[in-house]
Amino acid sequence: MEITQEMDLYQKLMILSDAAKYDVACTSSGVDRAGSGRGMGNCIAPGICHSFSTDGRCISLLKILFTNECVFDCRYCLNRSSNDILRASFTPDEVCRLTIEFYRRNYIEGLFLSSGILKNPNYTMELLYQTLYQLRSQYHFEGYIHVKAIPGASQELIEKTGFLADRMSVNLELPTAESLRRLAPHKTRKKILAPMRQVQIRRKENKEELVLYRNAPRFVPGGQSTQMIVGATPESDFQILSVAESLYRKFDLKRVFFSAFVQVNQDALLPALPGGPPLLREHRLYQADWLLRFYGFTAGELLSESRPNFNAALDPKCDWALSHLERFPVEVNQADYYTLLRVPGIGPKSARRIVQARRHGTLDFPALKKAGVVLKRAVYFITCNGRQMYPLRIEEDFILRNLLQVCERRPAETVTYRQLSLFDDGQMLGEVPEKLKLAGM
Amino acid sequence: MQGETKMVIYVCEDCVDGIFTGVYNAWASRLGHANVALRVEGPTDLELFAEYRSVETDAQKAQKVADTIRRRMGETSYEMIYRAALANAPEKADCIYRVLAVGLSRHTDSRIARHLIEGLQDTNACRIFELSRKVQNEAHRYEGFVRFREIEGGVLFSEIEAENQILPLIGEHFSDRFPNEHFLIFDHCSGDCLVHAARQQWFIWRGAGKELPEYLEDRSGFSGRGAGRESCGKDPEKARRVEESADGIRKNEEQLSSERIEKIKYPAYSAAGLPPVSEEEIQRLWRGFCGSISIRERENLNLQRQFWPLKFRKWMTEGSGQESRL
Ligand code: SF4
Repeated sequence: MEITQEMDLYQKLMILSDAAKYDVACTSSGVDRAGSGRGMGNCIAPGICHSFSTDGRCISLLKILFTNECVFDCRYCLNRSSNDILRASFTPDEVCRLTIEFYRRNYIEGLFLSSGILKNPNYTMELLYQTLYQLRSQYHFEGYIHVKAIPGASQELIEKTGFLADRMSVNLELPTAESLRRLAPHKTRKKILAPMRQVQIRRKENKEELVLYRNAPRFVPGGQSTQMIVGATPESDFQILSVAESLYRKFDLKRVFFSAFVQVNQDALLPALPGGPPLLREHRLYQADWLLRFYGFTAGELLSESRPNFNAALDPKCDWALSHLERFPVEVNQADYYTLLRVPGIGPKSARRIVQARRHGTLDFPALKKAGVVLKRAVYFITCNGRQMYPLRIEEDFILRNLLQVCERRPAETVTYRQLSLFDDGQMLGEVPEKLKLAGM
Repeated sequence: MQGETKMVIYVCEDCVDGIFTGVYNAWASRLGHANVALRVEGPTDLELFAEYRSVETDAQKAQKVADTIRRRMGETSYEMIYRAALANAPEKADCIYRVLAVGLSRHTDSRIARHLIEGLQDTNACRIFELSRKVQNEAHRYEGFVRFREIEGGVLFSEIEAENQILPLIGEHFSDRFPNEHFLIFDHCSGDCLVHAARQQWFIWRGAGKELPEYLEDRSGFSGRGAGRESCGKDPEKARRVEESADGIRKNEEQLSSERIEKIKYPAYSAAGLPPVSEEEIQRLWRGFCGSISIRERENLNLQRQFWPLKFRKWMTEGSGQESRL
């Protein structure tokens, strides 16, 4: 359908942002880049939330597709070639303009540019490259750019584009090669992993270049991320989390995002999901992902072949602690940082404060509270100077019953689980924006 | 007799320099820490058996105190104290004094002085930590929530209502981000305005609220009016340079004509032969975007409200409801 010409910028933006909304992105990339003074923009490592959409997710980037035309026919995607929908394409100039005008009004932190496959992967990647090139060199934009690497595009194009972007991502789409074959007939696992590997290797080389020449151009300084759809295919939480873990290890990814499957197409191969997108599952996976990245947990500690899915009623950390009661109670005045981190109710921030404050004397329970420890959860797992806060049994059933009162409630109940923090560890209560970033919302 | 001693209360201006000057005066009085207290100006109950001394803000004294804090307690502690001094909390002045009484004392071991604020055992230190965090969080949120609109001459204008005096904390961020823009961020609560002229040092225009409306009305160029009035940049050194740069703005005015700025900013616009987009149209595009980016199946207004409290939305372009989707 070629109706692009008659559409005005507003209509295009509506179509192409609507089509991009299922992609997860955040700006907490770890890129800190001061402005050069010659253009516009800088990058802030922890990221900045600029707004929030009615689904409660943070809006920080102008998240758009370059085009929603697509020659592929992925069954889970609204843009699949067999769907009869309104199609639109931006021009590179239009994207630059929107980015610049939004950015200078402080609406956004930068651009997230993805695309359907127009004609073929190379043609599409070239357009993305052109857009970034103009934005950087003609509009002097120095803010954050996250761009998709199109699987199947030439190495050369991906390399060129990577020198203009802060972050690149290739979507894994589905957790296993088998599922991909079923739902995305034009894609293969191999084709998806190839650009991911390329970016990984090039980044490594670039780091060495930067050691030698401080002013060498930087290649994807914010690293790579990827995304998996959860709930469209039959994989278990254990499989999904293990895939995430190996992506972190083997591909040096910065983030793995999970996206609860939203039914947009009627297709016999897709599950019906009468209860809506599996949000609780997505939430548990993000919590577990957090445990992998910041708490020193491994996937195998949290789940196993015999217990492949997360507990709906308890967050993964509480769940783990309950099945490892032999490790508790922990003496807060002595335990090291990593041991403290494993206590429900203690997060990285409060653990750090405890370790710092211990230098000035022994801590009592009120001091722990000031450090940000959530005592109503931690009490079952800690002692202070050899004493519990009040006499408690360290026994699974007893703790479980009590924790269920103070841990997250299930979403069916009055409060939805998403209103509660990622963990009630308190460590994130102070800085809401970061927390969102890290929660991948 | 000890009991006869009257408490002496130093009343300072509610800004960093004011509080630091108060610290200086109280310390120099040699009355003994137990016999002095600090307050910031504002409605407080007068204590009967106390003597009130009003503190005249003195940039040099404040600078001395700032330097001493940095030297004795380190940069991190200084930043925390600085941020606490910007908080909307009347007790902050005395908390700061109490902590400094220990931290700057010759009898305090220097390692202890440097880590004083981390301690969880001291109430005043804890309070400073809390206040500092609160102020920093608010400043961080406003780095995202500030909304500019373009007014005459390509100047970007923004209004906020901040609980704490966060303008000095966000000046660096926005200047680094928009070095070639003229922008103003006006805080309705403090009545102060952050002023940045393209490629100049930013500064705080104190009490801008009184003059701003007329300033906005008759702006023909960027005059940098009100510059040098009083500036509270984070770095007192830098703040002092503001006076000069304010002069600089006036001098460079012709040189910085908006036409030239346009050229620096958007050489590509004219190259591509694109027509200008009006301010209203850009706002409409943004509101439309905020609506269409939301996933209906995941709708959760409570969550949205939790992260984006209503009080922030008042001055935000998309705050008054997002336009319906296509
Ligand atoms: S390649 Fe597949 S997922 Fe991507 S836009 Fe096309 S149909 Fe959608």
